[in-house]
Parts: sequence; structure tokens; C-alpha cells
Amino acid sequence: MNIQKLLLLLFIIPLLSFSPHKYYLSLTQIEYKNESRSIQISINVFMDDIEIALNKKYQIDLQLASNQELKNNDDYFKKYLKEKLHLKINDFPREYNYIGKEYDGDLVYFYLEVENIDGITSLEVENTILTTYFPKQENLLKTKIYNKYQSLLLTAKKTKGLLKFL
Amino acid sequence: MKNSTLFLLSIFFIGTTVFAQEKKIKQGLQGHTNQNKFKQLKDQFSTPNSQRTASGAPGVNYTQQKVDYVMDIVLDDENKRISGKETIVYHNNSKDELAYLWVQLDQNMRAKDSKTPDIQPSKIPNSMPVKSFNLKYPKTPFDGGFNIISVTNLDNSNLSHTINQTMMRINLPEPLAAGKTFSFKINWWYNINNHREIGGRSGYEHFAENGNNNYVIAQFFPRLCVYDNVEGWQNDQFWGRSEFALEFGDYTVHITTPKDHMLGATGVLQNESEVLSRKELKRLAKAKNTFDQPVLIRTQEEATKIEKSKSSATKTWKFEAKNVRDYAFASSRKFIWDAMAVDINGKTVMAYSLYSKEANPLYGEHSTRAVAQTLKTYSKYTFDYPYHKAISVDGQMGMEYPQICFNPGRPNADGTYSDRTKYRMIKVTIHEVGHNFFPMIVNSDERQWTWMDEGLNSYVEMLAELAYDKDFPITRGYPKNIIKYMNGDQSKIAPIMTKGDNVYSFGSNAYGKPATALWILRETIMGPELFDHAFRTYSQRWMFKHPTPADFFRTMEDASGIDLDWFWRGWFYTTDVTDIGIKNVKKFHTKTKENEVRFIEDTTKGLGFGDDKDSNSKFHYEITYNKPGGLVMPIIVYYTYKDGTKERKVYPAQIWRFNDKEITKVFSSSKEITKITIDPNQETADVNTSNNSWPKEDKNKFEKFKRKIKG
Repeated sequence: MNIQKLLLLLFIIPLLSFSPHKYYLSLTQIEYKNESRSIQISINVFMDDIEIALNKKYQIDLQLASNQELKNNDDYFKKYLKEKLHLKINDFPREYNYIGKEYDGDLVYFYLEVENIDGITSLEVENTILTTYFPKQENLLKTKIYNKYQSLLLTAKKTKGLLKFL
Repeated sequence: MKNSTLFLLSIFFIGTTVFAQEKKIKQGLQGHTNQNKFKQLKDQFSTPNSQRTASGAPGVNYTQQKVDYVMDIVLDDENKRISGKETIVYHNNSKDELAYLWVQLDQNMRAKDSKTPDIQPSKIPNSMPVKSFNLKYPKTPFDGGFNIISVTNLDNSNLSHTINQTMMRINLPEPLAAGKTFSFKINWWYNINNHREIGGRSGYEHFAENGNNNYVIAQFFPRLCVYDNVEGWQNDQFWGRSEFALEFGDYTVHITTPKDHMLGATGVLQNESEVLSRKELKRLAKAKNTFDQPVLIRTQEEATKIEKSKSSATKTWKFEAKNVRDYAFASSRKFIWDAMAVDINGKTVMAYSLYSKEANPLYGEHSTRAVAQTLKTYSKYTFDYPYHKAISVDGQMGMEYPQICFNPGRPNADGTYSDRTKYRMIKVTIHEVGHNFFPMIVNSDERQWTWMDEGLNSYVEMLAELAYDKDFPITRGYPKNIIKYMNGDQSKIAPIMTKGDNVYSFGSNAYGKPATALWILRETIMGPELFDHAFRTYSQRWMFKHPTPADFFRTMEDASGIDLDWFWRGWFYTTDVTDIGIKNVKKFHTKTKENEVRFIEDTTKGLGFGDDKDSNSKFHYEITYNKPGGLVMPIIVYYTYKDGTKERKVYPAQIWRFNDKEITKVFSSSKEITKITIDPNQETADVNTSNNSWPKEDKNKFEKFKRKIKG
């Protein structure tokens, strides 16, 4: 499907949805671990959506979870996430390590980690994963920090959110 | 009095008042209504009556209307228009007198004055492609609404009628008495939509090469609404999403197309020799005896030759369809046609596919085989497929009608296709062909309850997919597939028992979640034997009838002897989730003194026992299970013994009936336990597994993954 047709489908058809309907949602879970002084991040996205988005963006053919899978796909995922997911911890931008990814059914899980965090007073997340190609994309964020659960729903229009822990 | 004293005094009084109130509640003086999750669902179900019984079966006075249609249809390829002359015979089988009839005009959803776009909230996006922009803000909007030329009595005198958007009321000259018949005629035409550009559940696809169109035509004629004792007239507007409620009837349909078109339609073709070549008839006869592979009736080579020219002559296809709830067809110069016979318990049913060369070899390799598998599997779990054929059409959407459906999926230009394209095409084909059973035969009201056909169908679809390919990548229906949805933002989730037009995440709400619920009932709660019998009973009771949710819920209980009201309430009437955990474990051994057995708690850490334990004593564990999730579900526990063996124990959901938050349960064994795990095979859609093990898992999903990667 070319991107024109894809966008067409996304703009026009949502009101006329057909049988294998789907929804556009990613879930990012963020947990702060006192013991390891690190922030653990796992993100799940629908495999077909992330594949469409990356194929178009980087002009590649990922073929995820098949035997023709692109060998260096982690490079693209890393690059993509770096552009789409930004964290500010205690008001300062922080980099994260890309630990890896795994597949589970129609989902891809990404694992990221921010190290050397001595405590969190605030966490700002900017998440635009898949929002360019899928205007209806929603990125749900759930945090467990100091045994407190919070959640945040980000969209193409609202890409940033701030959580405080004081 | 000093202020501080006053302050202290006031605190004292307020404190005692609050205390007194608490005491009142504690002493049980404060009343409450029955909030128990095992309370019967009587307040949600309609009262049983002689039309719909308490057992979930149709009652002695069950009636339903019948509507017969005689139609002459002309497909105008040049102008992309369709017109029809329609005679409707309405049989009032109810006990009621009817002052008017309601007719559905679905195509008016596409009329210039349609309100469908007006009820969609919208936002300005950052940007959009020119083509999408031009479609969304067209210079001249497409007018795809019905043009009703005439509504008349059989003698051609005018019949009074009122059009209200997608509904038309026929004002009867005199009330139609119970048991009587009323006949009338409607002449109409409309412009066919390009469904590839502006969407739709029918329409045409245009091919620049040779200027051909593939037509997939449905909801194309004014159709009678359902009248019953549940909704009265089901005349809710068609907004474009919630599908249809339709009566059964007999159809005589003549369709005139360009002479070089190939056509597939609902019903038995009456004039084969007039519309098919001698060669095609011979191949068709062969296909009717070929059960192992599709036989090509029209080859790709032949179709490719035909599509290069355009005949100005026409031909008329004549069909008779008995006891169907709707009518649809597909027509094109481009169609390749293959066919295979399917043995359904000794009766031969034909599986057909119609597809353009752009869909080959994907369709040639899988379409008809997927149709055949669907008919076999669904017949096994419901009833023998009663019609003579089922057609899958390369319609590049996913939409179902009686005996014919339109499906997606095309290979790359070089004919190769990925596994994902293949499985998606097979999945949708099985799903849409499966709709022949739900709702085309088990004819629930789709306008009101999307899940009744989509959910049940998505469940049987899984069984057909696994029969087609035991490694079929199922992405919807297993409990683990629904966790992401059920654990999502509660403000964007509706209970399954919500009208289709008003649900968020349509696919998960009306397809995935009910399919999962049925899967869990079969695999974990009822067992395949009891479930299959009850599901078959429901299907057979309501074949060619109009079931409601209560008829389904009641039958599943009535035929299995299992009270499932708690399950329907939780899974269908709420948005609650499953989360069951282990809160604490205490260990005991016993000492017998004289006539008394004393339980002695072992307070050492972990599940192991200290040295005090008498070797004659069994191992006794008092386990506290808690339930942060709102759903009541069975507790599925795996006890791992020191010798590595495991024991599965399932405590029925009713264990929660006295305490919805927390219960304790004793497990005694002659072997020592090293680990206790709840639902390790993901049977219950438990949204939080961090509390499912004892001793507590010290590593979460993230840490396990990191250890795997980093070693």
C-alpha cells in the first residue's frame, strides 16, 4: 500500500470501518528502581503499524518476524525511538540505552533504560511514536514510581506530558 | 473559653460523630441493595414470555415477518450507476396490526445531505496529502444517495411515503392486519461510489489499465426493516457503522450487466446456459465433483483477454434465492473464477472465488480453500451449512452478505506476497465467509448489538484458522491478545453491551473481547464438551430466526447446566479487568496429641519447612489470594513440588462469592511445594502478572529481558 492510499484510508474510512477493525495504541510502561538507580522503560506497539511507519520513513522493507527479516532492524528502531521519544528527568533531558526488542503475537516490545538516577521529582515525556503516519494513534503512558501509579494519554495533538513526584 | 479549648472540644465532637456513624455501618444498621457479583442477571434481561422463553429458546408464540422481493436490476458500467425496479411482498406474521412499514435506504448515508459526516468530531491535522485533502474538501461533493423514482401500489397508483434520512415510512392505505400480506413497488437508482477512494461497504474499484471496474454491490436496494416484539420497528438510522437488521424472504432477481462481465450473486443461477460459455459449463460440472482442489471455470488468460475490450451488448443473469436475509453481487470483466466442491456431511456445497489478475496468485492459492475450510469448521460447531454455495470476491475490503463476501489482500506486482499479506487475506476471508452463519442465518440485530455476530463469528473464526493451518498466527481471541485493550484508558472503553455506533475501539470491543470471552468459557470455565453443545444448541435454536443477547446468555446456561450470570455481568456488562494475585502464604505442620491434631505454623522464610516438622505430617499451606481486578474469575493455580512435578488446581469463580477482594484457601499435600503460580498459561487475561507468583518474582519483564540479552 502506498502512503497516499494509506493516509486516504486513515482519513476517510474511520467512519466506515469494516470488519477487521483496529485501534491505534502504544503502551509505554515506566518504572523507577531504587536498587539499580535506573528507570526501566518498556514500550509495546502494533507490529504492522511500526513496520509501515519505518518502511516509509527509511525506505526499507523490515519484514518483521519473518525469515526475510532485515538483519540490522535494531539500528532503525534505535534511530526512530531517539527521534520520537524524549525524556526530561528533574527538568533535564536524559538519554536512554536501547536494550533491545522482542515480539509477542502482533506486538513488538522495546526495552529502554536510563541509568544513574538518584531520585525523581519530575518526569516529562514527549512521545510522537507513530503519530505521523497514524493520525488516530494514541500513546498511553503508565508509570510506577515510588510505588505510585500514574498514567498519561498522549496523542498527535498532545505530544507532551509532565508528571510530578513531590 | 479559650480558642484552643474550643478547637480541641470541636475535634472531640466531630470525632465522636464520625465514629458513631462508622459504628452504625459496622453494626449493619445501614442498608444496601444486593451488589453481589453472583446475583442473577434478571434485572438486565427482558422478562421471558411465550415468544422468547426463559430457557433461551424461541417460544410457542414466536413469530417473525417475511419479506419477498422480485427485482430487475441494471448495472450501467458506463455511468457507474445502478437502477432497479422492485416489487416487495410483505407478510405480517405478527399478531399486531401495522399502520405503516419502514424501509431502509442505506445509500442515503452517502447522500449530499447525509448527517453521517456531521456527527464525526473533527480536528485540523498538521498536514494531509493533496489527494486526501481533495476528497475531504471536494469541489462538488459526491452524491451517492438513492433517487426514489416512484413508490406505488401494484396498480401503479402512488403510495404515500415519508423519507427520514436513511429510513422511509410507507403509509399504508389501510392498516395491515395480522397474517395479511401487502405488496408494493419501488423504482430507484443511484450513483455507485468508488469504494477505494471514498470508502464504503460496497461500490466499485477502478483500474486505469483498460478502464475497467470491479463492482461489489450490496445494500443497494430499499430493504424492509425488522419488526418484532423487542424493538418494535428497528428503524435506527444507518450512520455507516452499525450494520443491519433484516428479515428473511425469497428473492427473484434479474441482473443486467455488460455482456462480457462475469458475475457472482446470492441465490441459485437459473439460466446458466444463457450466461456462461459451453466451456465454462463443462468446467463447472467438473468442479462440482472435485473436492480436493479448485477448478478454474474462467482462467486468468481468458479474463485478461476479455478485459481488453468492452462489449456494448448486455446479458441478464437470473437468480432465485430462498430464505435469505439480504442480497448482494459482484460483477466485472476482469474476474477469474475458480470453484471447488465441499462435502458437508454428505451434501455438496460449492466454494467459489472471483478475483482479478491483480489478486493472483494469492487468491488462486488460498481463497477457495479458505472458503471450504470455513464451511467445514463452522458446520461442525453450529449446523450444516444450509445454502448451496459461498463466494469470496477480491473486493478489497472486508464485508459480508448472504452466500457472498468481499475480501482484501493482493500480492506484490511480481506475484510474491509476504506471510502477513497471506494470513491477513485468509483471516478476513474466513471471517467474512463465517458471517454466513452469524448473522446471515443466526440473524441477530447488528444495528443494536455488533458483538452478537462479530464476536461469535470471531470466535469460530479462530477454530477455522487453526484447522486451516495449525500454526496460524492468531492475533485476536486468545486471552493474552485482549490485555492491552482491557488494561487501557478506562475513559476510552465501553462495555460489550453497548450499541455498536457508540463504542470506542470497535474491533476490540465488538470482535476481540467477546471472542476472547467465548474462548475462555470453552477452554477454561465450561470445557469444550459442555461449551460446544451449548453453542451448537444456541446456533440451531436461532437458525433463520432473530436472537437477542438474553437468548444467547440463557441458552448457554440452559444447555450446559452452568450458571454464568456472573461471567456475562463481568465480561459483557462492565469494563472490569482480571487481576488475581497471591498476597501471602502461611505454612503449617501438625502434631497429634491424644485426640487432638494441632496445626503449628512454621515461621521460617520462604515456602520451605524448618527442622521442627514431624516427618509424618503433611505440608499444609494457607494461601491468601487477593483480587485487585473487578472481574470474578476462577483462580488457576500451579503448585510446583520440590521434585519438579506440578499440580494444576482450579478454584471456580464462586470462591469469591462471600468476599470480592480477598480469600484464603488451604492446600495440603504430602510433598513440599517450592513455587506457587497463578495462571501461568495466560488463560484469564490477567492484566497484572507481577503478583502471580509466590515466592514473589524478583525480576520483572524488563529485567528478565535484560538478563536474556546481556547474559
